[in-house]
This record gives sequence, C-alpha cells and structure tokens, in this order.
Amino acid sequence: MKSVFIAYNQAHTERINFIFDRLKIKGYTQWDNVSGRGSETGEPHLGTHTWPEQNSAVLTIVEDEQVQELLEAVKKLDEINKDVGIRAFVWNIEQVY
Amino acid sequence: MSIYGSAVKKPITTMMVFIAVIVFGLYSLFQLPVDLYPEIEFPAITVITAYPGASANDIEINITQPIEDAVNTVDDLKEITSVSRDNISMVTMEFEYETDLSEAANNVRDALEIAKNQIPDEAEDPMIFKFNISMFPIQMFAITAEASYEGLEKMLEEKIINPLNRVDGIGSIRLIGAPTREVAVELDPRRLEAYNMTIEQIGGILAAENRNTPTGKVEMGEIDYAMRVQGEFNNSDEIANTIIGSFNDQVVYLKDVATVRDSIKEMTKDEKINGKDGVRMMVMKQSGANTVTVSKELTKRLEVLKQNLPGDVEMSLIFDSSEFITSSINNLSQTLMYALIFVVLVVLFFLGRWRATFIIVITIPISLIVSFIYLQISGSSINIISLSALAIAIGMVVDDAIVVLENITKHIERGSSPREAAIYATNEVWLAVIVTTLTIVAVFFPMTFISGMTGILFRQLGWIVTITVVTSTLVAITLTPMLSSKMLRLREKKAKPGRWSYDRTIIPLLDKLDDFYVKSLSWSLTHKKVIILVSTLILGVSVFLATKLQTEFMPQTDESRFSIKIELQSGTRVDKTIEIARQVDKILLTNFPEIELIATSSGADEEGGISSVFESSGSGIINYSVRLVDPEDRDKSIWVIAEEVRLLIKDIPEIIKYNVSTSGGSMMGGNNVDVEIYGYDIDQTTMLANQIADSIRLIKGAREIKISREDEKPELRMEIDREKMAANGMNTTAISSALYNRIEGFTATKFRELGEEYDVVVRFKKEYRNSISAIENIALQKPSGEFVRLGELGEVKEYYSPPNIERKRRERVVKVSSVPYGVSMGSLAAEIQKAINKIDLPREVMIEVGGAYEDQQEGFMDLAMLLGLSLILVYLVMASQFESLKMPFIIMFSIPFAFSGVIIALLITNTTLSIIAGVGAVMLVGIVVKNAIVLVDYINLMRDRGYELSEAIKLSGKSRLRPVLMTALTTILGMLPLAISTGEGSEVWSPMGISVIGGLVASTVITMIIVPVIYMLFAKKGERNKEELVRSKFKFLD
Repeated sequence: MKSVFIAYNQAHTERINFIFDRLKIKGYTQWDNVSGRGSETGEPHLGTHTWPEQNSAVLTIVEDEQVQELLEAVKKLDEINKDVGIRAFVWNIEQVY
Repeated sequence: MSIYGSAVKKPITTMMVFIAVIVFGLYSLFQLPVDLYPEIEFPAITVITAYPGASANDIEINITQPIEDAVNTVDDLKEITSVSRDNISMVTMEFEYETDLSEAANNVRDALEIAKNQIPDEAEDPMIFKFNISMFPIQMFAITAEASYEGLEKMLEEKIINPLNRVDGIGSIRLIGAPTREVAVELDPRRLEAYNMTIEQIGGILAAENRNTPTGKVEMGEIDYAMRVQGEFNNSDEIANTIIGSFNDQVVYLKDVATVRDSIKEMTKDEKINGKDGVRMMVMKQSGANTVTVSKELTKRLEVLKQNLPGDVEMSLIFDSSEFITSSINNLSQTLMYALIFVVLVVLFFLGRWRATFIIVITIPISLIVSFIYLQISGSSINIISLSALAIAIGMVVDDAIVVLENITKHIERGSSPREAAIYATNEVWLAVIVTTLTIVAVFFPMTFISGMTGILFRQLGWIVTITVVTSTLVAITLTPMLSSKMLRLREKKAKPGRWSYDRTIIPLLDKLDDFYVKSLSWSLTHKKVIILVSTLILGVSVFLATKLQTEFMPQTDESRFSIKIELQSGTRVDKTIEIARQVDKILLTNFPEIELIATSSGADEEGGISSVFESSGSGIINYSVRLVDPEDRDKSIWVIAEEVRLLIKDIPEIIKYNVSTSGGSMMGGNNVDVEIYGYDIDQTTMLANQIADSIRLIKGAREIKISREDEKPELRMEIDREKMAANGMNTTAISSALYNRIEGFTATKFRELGEEYDVVVRFKKEYRNSISAIENIALQKPSGEFVRLGELGEVKEYYSPPNIERKRRERVVKVSSVPYGVSMGSLAAEIQKAINKIDLPREVMIEVGGAYEDQQEGFMDLAMLLGLSLILVYLVMASQFESLKMPFIIMFSIPFAFSGVIIALLITNTTLSIIAGVGAVMLVGIVVKNAIVLVDYINLMRDRGYELSEAIKLSGKSRLRPVLMTALTTILGMLPLAISTGEGSEVWSPMGISVIGGLVASTVITMIIVPVIYMLFAKKGERNKEELVRSKFKFLD
C-alpha cells in the first residue's frame, strides 16, 4: 500500500474528483484552501492579494498497482496547462489500523 | 458557502432572484411620475383675503398684519411673505420640507379663526389655497367666444372649472378678464334726496321685495296646500318697476330715482388672444403636486368637458408647463439610450467577444432598474437629476463585471472548466472589486447628507449612484460568474484568423497603443523633473484660467415662452393702453416669425379680483404671454429673441417701463439677483430702491431691472374734521360705511335666473362719484334724519400711495431684482454689491443681496464642503485598502488634473460653472481615483511579486492600460450624448457631461504618466530593494 499526496490548484477540484471516481479510488482525505508554492516552476498559490490563487490537497492510500495509474492521470491533467499547477508525491505505508 | 459559489451552483435560483428584481424595477418604472427636478418646492399655503375698495395701506394694517400675527406660530413654518395690494391681501407661508400640507392647512385655518375678530366685517372671509402664489401656473388657456361671450364666466365656471377643480392636485383655476353679469342699480342722489330717501333704504327695499317665502299649510277639503308668497323678480325689468315708496300721494318707482342695467360688469380690461376677444384661464397646481400628472389628468378631463361648450367657444392652450418637462425627460431618456449603445460598443471593442460583451452589458439594465425601485419607495420621480445619475452610472456599473469576467476568462483559457473557473476566479477578485466600489461610494454617499436646496439635487444623485454601483458589484460577484459558467467556452485559437477578424484588426491596434504607452512611460520615468515641471505648469495655468470662469446657480432653460409687461404713464386711459397694445402686437407678429401665440391683457379689472394676485395689472399696464415654436424649429434662442424684443419696445415713446422675462415655471430656473431693502418708511425705501435700480442700470449686462414696489398711484383721502363730525352726530364708521355704499356700492340682493344668481349692486351713478366736488357733495343722513354734505364734515384731498406693500418675515421689504445678460450671475452680483456699498444707507434700513444669487452662494458652499468630505472619505477608504498612508497621496495626485480638465473643457465650450457642472466635478473625484487605484494596485502587486521598481511600473502600465482606458472610455462615452445633446432641457444637463468628460480625459492621460512618476519618487530606498528590507528585519540568521 502506498499513500499518494496530491497538491493542486483548486481550479482542478472537479477533475481530481473525477479521476478518483474513474480509478475507483474510494478513500481519501481532502484539504481545501491550503497554500503553498512549487520548488521549481509555477506561481505561488498563497491566497493573498499578491498571489491570489489557492490550492487544495488530497491524500489517498491505494494499492501499489494503482499508483502508476494515478500518477499518469495527474500527469495528463498537468499537461492541459502547466500554469495551473498540480503535483503528486508517493510514500510507503508501514502499517494500517 | 460563498455567495458566488452558491450563485454558480444554483443558476436557476440566481436567475429567479434577478428576474424578480427586474420585475419589481419595471413595475416601479411604470408607476413613477415624471418631473423636471426632484421635489424642490417648499410646501406652501397662501391665504388670500379680499377687502374690496381698500387701499394697500389699509389692507396691510387691517388684514395682512393680523393674519401674519395669527399664523406666525403655526408648526413647521419656515417663512412668511405677504403682499398687500389694493383690494386684496395675500399671505404666503412656506413650510419646512415634508410638512403635511393638509395638516398645515388645518393649523392655518385654526389660527385664522382667532384672527377673524380683528379683521373688518366688510372684508371677505380669508381663503386658504395650497399653493404658492409666486409659482407659475401649470397651464394657461385662451378662450375665445362670439355669441356666448356675455355668459362666458358662468358657463365656464359651471361646465369647466367646477368639474376640473375636483382633479387631484389642482390648487386653483382662475379666469382672467371674464365678463361678469350683474344688475347695476345706479341711483341719482339728487332725486333720492328729493324723495327723502337713502341708498341703504333702497337696498333694504330691494332685498325685502326679492323674496319667496313659505307661509304655512292650508287645509282645504281633503288636501293640504303649502302656501307661499312669490315675490322674487322674474326678470331684471321688474327690478326697475319696484315701488320704493310714495311721495305726495304719488307712487315712486325705482326707475324714477335710478337706472337699472342688466349687463356685463363694467370692464376696464381688454383681453386679446392673437388679436381676438377672449378670456384666459390659468390653472395652478397645489404645492408639491406633480405637474405632469396633474396636467395629464387635466387635459384628459378637459377633452370631455369641452364637448359641453357651445360651438362658438374655442379653447386654445397658451402654455402647458408639463410639455417642457415631458420633452426634456424624453430627450434625456434618448440620450441615455445612446450612452448605453456607446458603452456596449466600447466593451465589445476591448473584449472582441459577443458572449463576454453580453455578460457584462446585462449588468447595466439590472443595476439601473434597481434605482427605479429606490425612486418608487422614496416617493420620488423620474427627473433630470435621477436620469443624469443613471447616465453617470451607466459607464461605472460595468467596471466590476469586467474585472470578474477578465479573471474568469484567464482561468478558462488555462484550461479550467467554466464552472470551476467562475467560482475560483471570482474568489480571487471579489474583495478587490468590493473595495474599488467603496471608493465610488465614498464620493457619492456623502451627497445624501447634504441639506438645503443643493441637497435636493445631490441627495438623489448620491443615492442612485450608490445604489446602482453597489448593485452592480453584487451582480458582478453573482450573476456574472453564473452566466460565465454557462456561456463562456474555451475558444480554440484559430490558425488563420480572417482578414477582418477581431484578431487581425483591433488587437494589433491595441498592441501598438500598448507599445507607444510603454515607450512614453519609460521616457517619463527617466525625465521625472520635466514631467513634474510640466504638470505644475498645467496646474498653475488652470488655476489662472479658473478665475475667468463665469458662474451661475442653475443653467437657464429655453422653455419657448416669455412674458412682457409694459407700463405706460400711471393712470393712462384704457383705450390709449389698448392702442399701444395693438401696436406692440404688430411689432411682435411682423418681426418674429418664431412666435406661435400671443395673449395680451391690457388694463385691470375694476375691482381687482383674485386674478390680480397672479399678475399685477392697472389701467396703464399691458401683460403679454408669448409662446414660441420649439427650440429645434428656430435659429434664435429665447434670450436673443427677448433682447431683440427689448430693443424694439424701447423705441415706443409712450412706454415708460418694460420687462421681458424669459424665466419659466420652475423655481430652480431663476438667475435673478435680488436686492432686498427692509425698512418701514415707504418713501425712504422707495427712494432707496430707485437709487439702487439706477445704479444697477449702469452696470453692463444687467437686464430686467425691476422694483417690486409698483409706482405710487394717486388716491383720495377723506380727512374728517372731528368737531364738525361730532356736531352733526356722526362717527367715522358711519361715514366710511355710508361712503362705501355710495361709491363702491353694495350687493343688495341676488337676482335669480335659470338657476343662476347674479348680484344686484346698488350705488351712485357715475357722474355723482367721479370728481372731488361730486364726492364732497355726497349727502349723508344724520341720526336726526336731516342730510349733511360730506364736504361739511371734512375735506377730500389727493395723495399718492403705493399700490402694493410687500412684507417678508413680517417686515416691509422692497426688492430690486435684475438678471444677467451676457455676463455671469456671480459677477453681476459682485458689481451690484459694489454699487450698493457706495450708497449711504439710512440706519433704519437693512439691505440684503439675495435671490438666486443667494442660492448660488449656498450651493457652492455646499459643493465645497462635499468636495472636502469626499476627499477625506476617499483617502480613508484607500488608506485602509492599501494599508498605507502614502499610497492614497500618490493616487490623489490625479485629482487636481481632473479639475484642470474641467476648467479647460468649460472654457472651451463657453459653459458657465453652475451647480450642475460643479456636481460633475465632484463626481470626478471618485471616477478618477478609481483609475489610479487600478494602476497603483497593480504596481504594488508586481513589486510584491519581486519585480524591480521601474520594471514593475512599466509592466503594470502595459497590463493596466486597457482596463483603465476601457473604464474611462465607458464613462466618457456614456456622458458624451449628455454633453452634446441639444433640444429642450439640454441646457441643464450638458454642463455635467462637459465637465465630467473634460475632467476624465485630462486626468486619464495625466494619471497614466504622472501617477507612475510620483510613485517612483515616493518609493523610498527600502521599497526599491525589498529584499534588503526584509533581511534587516530578520537579523538572527546573519
């Protein structure tokens, strides 16, 4: 089992939800209105007057084989327009309750 | 959930809410009355009391003063003015705004009850009218008749006036110059004395004879009969045959001592309509009633009532003041439509997309319609001010929607779905949108606090703009995202746009403009000193130019009518007066093809009926009402025509005084400078008034110099020798009432015919009362029954006395008024003040310069206060928006240049600085600042995003040029139709358009250069290098 953390421009919210449905990923945790900025490209999304855009973040724990599918979907989404901004990060899950 | 989120997610609900608003608004629109200005009249009540035969002086002491004293304590009273003229007293009370007129009328009625005891019995009961006599009639008709001329008064009274009086809002309807039927019994005093009778006895006999009396029931057989004595005169001939007594066993008939005449009351007045016999009917509205509504209803009823009149009676309209109002409003509504079209074109030009243009433009009707709901709730009307306010708002209500839509488009073009783009894009800008709206509100909302005359103009303007702009912001953050989510699509970039497509025509043009601007901006940033120097120069020059501006209170309007009052030598006979009148008629008709109708009235009613309240008349006075064709159909303005008329009339040697007055019906239209002279001594104040009038005549550009106190008129006074009177057993009251009966005559009884009553008036024959010797010869009966000649009781002497005495605040006042021609009211008033200062004033006399000039002074004071208040509020709003005390200053540097623009625009178009133009200038504060905010805000943003100072400025300039141009252009083009409109009423609103356009053009051009330059100058070292600044704050790492 792996955990996938996706931070994305909140303008992507509907599409992310669609990806989850499409990939039959049921469980996730989502945070709305979080701020952050990318390490290399893209504008900061801070929800301030200077940088008005904001992010949402979602954390989902999926089976190992689903990870690749999910990352590909995220990549496709990012390629619509790089300016909007989305990134995904994967960890191992040690234990589950 | 946020408001915009809900709006996008529930499109149907959103739509329904706005449809509801539109329905309410349209409903209100159709309910709203139309008027020229917001309600500006003070509620007024006039008490008119007739005391036939009394001179102005008697009226003042016996009637006017007691009434003034009695009504002085009525609630909410603002000011009492009065005119006492021969035969009649008029006391006008102005009340505070929003006083309930019916309640005030009741209070006045109660107060009058107390005064009644002090008023002489011969005086008629005071009548209360709910209007101000200084107001113009709303409609005037000319009525001509041939065969029915003699019975005209009764007929009109019964068939037209009484039914019309029931129309809501009508204050009073009066006939002028109507022939009245009366039965005159004119006695020969010599014969009376011979028969040992008095005029009072004859009157008593006539009253006693002319009676039908029931005498009870008679039971005859099975039937009850009512019995009555039938003695009323059946025809006027019977009156002559009345037996008045016997002398030496011979029966004496009335015809033996008198001539009985059943005809038209002696008239000394000549009414001509376009040269034909006729009467005039004037309709006054109640104060506070709506002119257009009343006129409409009146015209409708009159159409029906006219059919009951005989065929030879013709009614034609001399003027209808509602016509000017309706056509002005129509004219302005048309202007508003053009403004709307211009705004749509501007938006389309900059956006280049139909759908986007639609989404933005839809905010206009919605925001404007909401203001109709406000007007309806506040009980106001559609008028020049409310419509002008809408014209101003038209360009501003789209601004917020544009900002929101731009951001949404940006998101969509980055690939977001329209729905999400709508929500998140709105989320990013909604706060900024609200804050810019606040600056507009900061300028317009204070207007709603202003009181007084100018307040009435500003208040509505302030409310309407505030309401529409706030509504537009609400629309921008609800309806605009909702519609965008439904209508906007991601547009595929066409590989090859067509030759005439938007992308290949307008876009390159705009790009070129951007480049040009960035180039000039960079030049300016490196030549700061030159820029500062040039702009200081511009300011200096405009301050100098400002002193050349002409000022006035309200722009004058051409209402296509004027009146002329011509005075001949006092006491000129009527036939001579009429002759002159015909001569003037001819001059007018031959020289001025623009004239449509002339109503002439020469001479005066003998008894000075109530109609004399409305225009002063006298045997040597000719009054004209002239109506011209519409302004579009003639080349000359009313002022030019009036001036030409003046020059022509001047050449007639018999004319002593003449006035050609162009001011129309509305109170706001006046441009007169009044010098009010308060003082009790009539001779002294009259002399002073003449002296002042003479010195005003020397002032260039002063016209229509009028003294409100009319020329003194000869009068006869009976000076009683009290000893002789006492010796004869008489007293003053007995003598005066006996004289009244003999000279003025008294109504002994009423003659009834066909259900109508006519007065039977008994008096001496004319030859026994038309010279001093004849009057001294009048015999009065002593208590002992013997006769004594009036000459034995005292002397009849000739004096001069004023025919009218005006009072204001219960003090006697004379007004010397004048109007400017070719100069401004402000400079005329200054000249007059200078002239007055040279005159030595007696200590008892007080002088005030007032009239419309006073209103102007107050108005400009209010305007200055308003400007100050707006500036402070705008600063407050901006300071909190930028969280900086310095930024607002940078932005406010654009304001002075807006005023330079106003001054230059007014001078170029030769427009005077009136209150209306001033309002335009004040509004600029909000509009101009908004542009500068857009720019400065973006510079700040760029700086925060890490750009170097001059780089940030150039980038922002390039990026904000289009939005600034767009908002400025929508406002400028929205005002353009207002500024260039001609036709009826345009004089009122075009100055506002001119000043806003002038100010906005100048300030937009200058803002885009000077504000960045000032920003650069103000930016301190720390601000130039933000990184260093932050570093110095967090030293712990170093």
